[in-house]
Amino acid sequence: MSTITAPAPSSFLPKLRGYRLAELFVLLFFCIVMALPILFMLVGSFNTAAPGQTASYGVDNWVRAFSDPQTLKSLWMSFLFSVVRLIPSLALSVIVAWLIARTDMPGGNTVEFLCWFAYFVPDFPLTLAWILLLDPHFGFLNMAAQYLPFVSGPLFNPYSFWGIVWVHLGTGGIWLNVMLLTPVFRRLGASLEEAARVSGANTFTTLWRITFPVLSPMIIAIAVLSFIKGLESFNTELLLGLPARIYVYGTRIYDYLRQEPPAYGEATALGSVFLLVLFVLAFFYRSYLQGKKKFTVVTGQGYSTLRVKLGKWRYVAIGGFAAWFIIMMILPLTFLVIGSFMRRYGFFNISHPFTLSHWQNLLGDPLFIGSLQNSLIIASTVAILGILLYSIVGYLLASRKLMAPALLEFFCWLPWVIPGILMSLGLLWIFLATPLRSVLYGTVWGIALALTIHDSPVSTQAFKSAFLQLGPDLEEAARVSGASWRYTYTRILLPLVGPVAATVGMLNFGSALTSISTPVLLYSAESRPLSILLLEYSFTGEIERAAALGLLITLIICFMMLIGRAFGLRLTGPSREEAKPRAE
Amino acid sequence: MASNVLLEFSDVVKRYGETTVVDRINFTVAPGEFFTLLGPSGCGKTTTLRLLAGLETPDAGEITLQGRTLAAPARDIMVPIDKRNMGMVFQSYAIWPHLTVFENVAFPLRVRGESKASIKKRVLDALEVVGLSGYENRGSTELSGGQQQRVALARAIVYTPALLLLDEPLSNLDVKLREQMRVELHTLHKRLNLAVVYVTHDQSEALALSDRIAVVNQGKLEQVGSPAEVYEHPRTRFVGDFLGRTIILKGTMHKDAGRSVVDVQGAGRVTVDGDAAFGEGTGVRILSRPEDIALLPPGELAPNQVVGKIEHVAYMGDHLEYTIEAAGRTLVLPAHKRDNYPIGTAVRIAFDPAHVTALPQ
Repeated sequence: MSTITAPAPSSFLPKLRGYRLAELFVLLFFCIVMALPILFMLVGSFNTAAPGQTASYGVDNWVRAFSDPQTLKSLWMSFLFSVVRLIPSLALSVIVAWLIARTDMPGGNTVEFLCWFAYFVPDFPLTLAWILLLDPHFGFLNMAAQYLPFVSGPLFNPYSFWGIVWVHLGTGGIWLNVMLLTPVFRRLGASLEEAARVSGANTFTTLWRITFPVLSPMIIAIAVLSFIKGLESFNTELLLGLPARIYVYGTRIYDYLRQEPPAYGEATALGSVFLLVLFVLAFFYRSYLQGKKKFTVVTGQGYSTLRVKLGKWRYVAIGGFAAWFIIMMILPLTFLVIGSFMRRYGFFNISHPFTLSHWQNLLGDPLFIGSLQNSLIIASTVAILGILLYSIVGYLLASRKLMAPALLEFFCWLPWVIPGILMSLGLLWIFLATPLRSVLYGTVWGIALALTIHDSPVSTQAFKSAFLQLGPDLEEAARVSGASWRYTYTRILLPLVGPVAATVGMLNFGSALTSISTPVLLYSAESRPLSILLLEYSFTGEIERAAALGLLITLIICFMMLIGRAFGLRLTGPSREEAKPRAE
Repeated sequence: MASNVLLEFSDVVKRYGETTVVDRINFTVAPGEFFTLLGPSGCGKTTTLRLLAGLETPDAGEITLQGRTLAAPARDIMVPIDKRNMGMVFQSYAIWPHLTVFENVAFPLRVRGESKASIKKRVLDALEVVGLSGYENRGSTELSGGQQQRVALARAIVYTPALLLLDEPLSNLDVKLREQMRVELHTLHKRLNLAVVYVTHDQSEALALSDRIAVVNQGKLEQVGSPAEVYEHPRTRFVGDFLGRTIILKGTMHKDAGRSVVDVQGAGRVTVDGDAAFGEGTGVRILSRPEDIALLPPGELAPNQVVGKIEHVAYMGDHLEYTIEAAGRTLVLPAHKRDNYPIGTAVRIAFDPAHVTALPQ
C-alpha cells in the first residue's frame, strides 16, 4: 500500500475553481437581470416621480391604480380567462393524448406530428385570421351566415370574452398540452391497466378508475402550468380585447404605458400585485406537489401492446380530430392567405378582388426591411446567447458540484412564472436607471437580452437533462484517458449535446421572432422587430398587409421547424418532454 | 382424462411480425396443479402466460378453460380479458398507487358488483391468507417489495379465480425474501387448492414449487414432466443445461446382455439404465449431473468409470473444483477438499447408471 503514491489533490483544484467561478458569474448575471428588475419594480411602484427624476416615495401609485375599477377587473379577467380556457383545453388535450398513446386510432403518428406543427404556428397571425373570419363587418363567416334563414346581423363577434376563449382553442397551449401528455400516457406502466383488466374491469372502468386517477398528479401539474401560462397570455387579448375594452392585466399594463406621459407608477403597482398572486400560486402548487409525491412516479416496466380497440369509434375519433384541426388551423390559415391577396378584404364581389399589391407594398416598405433586419439580429443573438449561457448553466446544474444549486434552479424557473411584459417592465427600469442606458434602452441588444432571459426555463432544462443523460462516466472517461477539460468539452460534450443545442437555438430563434409582449415595452423606432410591425399594421387597420406579414412570419417559423425536425429536432427527448415553450 | 383437464393449450402460435414467439405450444393443466413454464428470458414463456390472460391474441391454436373456449382464432373466438375470470400477479406487481391496500384488493370484487359487506369480508380474508392483516388502510406505495407482492397475490385470489397466473413474482425480491416467499407460495397453493400457471427463469424455484414443469426454449416446448423427470432425465441437451450443470461425454452405444453400455471413446464404459432406443453402434452423448459423479483416485478402471487427467484445480473455499480432460472433452467437477490430487493425475470418474441419460449425438 505504501508504495502507491496518493494522487496530488492539487490536480483537481483548477477544475473545481472553474466551477466556482462559473457558478458565481452565472448567479451574478441572473441577479442583475432577474432579481434586480423585480426589486426595482417593487420599489418603483412606490416611487411617485417619473423615471430619471429624483425619487419621492409614497403609496399614490397604488391608490391611483386600484381606485380605478378597471385595474381590479383586469386582474379578475386574467383569472377568468385562464380558468375558462383551461377546462376545454385540458379535456381536449387529455382525450387526444389518450387517443394517440393508448388506442388503435388510425394515424396516431400523423396526429402527433400535426399537434407538434400546430404548436409552432404563432398565435398573433392566427388571431388576425380569426378577425378575417369573424369580424362583425367583414368577417367571412358572418357574411356567409347572412344567407342562412333567421339570421340578421352578425352571428359572431370575436371582440368578446367568448371570442378570445374560442381563438385560444387553437393556439399554442392546447397543442403543447397534447405533446406533454402523450408521453405521460405512453409511459404509464402497462401492467397497471392490464391488472385491472384481468381483475375483471372493462375498458371504460379501467380508464376511469385506474388510468386517469393514476395519472392525475401529472395531469394536474400540466393544468397548473397551462393556467399560469394562461395568465400571461397577451397577444390575443390585445388584438381582440382592446376594441371591446376587455382588459387583462397584461394589456392593462400596456395601456398604462401607452398613455402620455406613461403611467409607470400604476403599471409597476399592478405588476407587483400580479407578481404576488403568482408567488402565492406557485407556493400552493409546490406544497400540493410535495403532498402528492408519493405517487408521482408511475412509470412501470413494459411498453403496452394492449391498445384499446375502439372499433367503429376509431373513425369517429380521427374524424373528430381532423375536424378540430381543420377548423382551428387550416381554416384560419387559409383565410390569412386569401386576406393577404385581396384588394379590400371582405369585398368578394368586386370585379378584380385579388391583387399582389399588399405583398409588393409590404416587401417594398422600408419599415419592413428595417424590421426584418432588427428581427434577424435579435433572434440570432437570442439563439447564440441562449446556447452559450444555458449550456453552461445546464452543465453546472448537472454537475452536482454547486454551492447553491437550488438558487440557480430558482432563477432559471423564474421567467416561467413571470410574464414577458412584467419582465420587460422591470428591465426597462434597469435600462433607464443605470449607465447601461445607452447600450440597452430602445436597442436591439436590450430586446435580445430580455428575450434570452425569458427563454431560460426550457433551455436550461433541455441542457440539464442532456448532460444528466450523458452521465459523469463519459466525461470522466475522457478525462482519465488524458484529455484536457477544454478538449473534453469541445470534442466529447458539445458534439453529444449538439442536437439539444440546435433545438434550443431553433426554439429560441422562433420565439424571439414572434414574441410581442416582451419587446413591446423595450423597442424604439430604430429597433422595431417584425412582430411589433405586425402589431402596428393590425392596429392601423391595414389588415391585408398585416395578413401578409403574419403569413410571412408563420411561414418562416414553420419552415425552420420542419428543417429542424428533419435534423433531429424530434430526437431530443428532454426538450420535448420537460418543457414548454415558446414565449407568450 | 377429460374431467382431469382444467386448461388446455393446444397448438397455440403467436407471431410478432416475422418472429414466432410462441411456436405451436401444447400442454394441459389439471385442477389444483402447480404448473410451471420455465425458460430463459425471451423464450416465450411470458407471452404464453399473457395469451392465457387474454393480454395477447393468438395467431393460431385454441385455449380452453373448464371446457369453455377462451381463444380460437380459426373460429374467431376471443373472450375479452375481463371475462376470463383469471387471477394474475404481474412481475412488477402492478399495485395501483392511488388506492390503499384495501381498495386494491377490493377492486376485482367492486367491478363484479359485490355487496359492501361481502367485499369487506372477502378482502379481509384474502389479506389474512397472505399475512397482511392490519395493513388494509396503508397507502400501497408505503409498502415494501415483499408486502406489495402479497397485496398483488391477495388481489389475484380474492374472487377465487379459475386459474392463478404468476409472472415471475419472486424475481424482484432480494434473495432472503425470495426464499421465504417461495415457501409461503407453496403453502398457499396447498391451502387454496387453486390451479397455478407459474412463469420463471429460475430452475430452483421451478423445481421446488411445481407439480409439473414445462421447459420452453425459443418459443417451443422442450419437455414437460415432474421436477424429478426433467431434472434427472432431460430429454434434450437444452433442458439438461438449463436445469443445472451437466457433464456430457460422447460415445458409441453397445448392447451387452440386453443392457445399453456406452463406450466412451476408449476412456471407459458406462451403463445406461432404461433408454434402449439406440441401436448398436450409434453415436450418442451421455449426460449426468456433477453431484451424481464421484471422483476416485487412480487405479484399475471398473465398469461405469472413465479415466481423466486433472488439468487445473481451483480452490473454492468449501470445496475444490477440478478441470479434467476426459475422452477429448473438458469437464468441470467439484470435489471434497480431502480428495486432493496434483495436476496431471489420471483420476477415475465414476458414473451412477441410474442417473445417466443417453441423448442422440
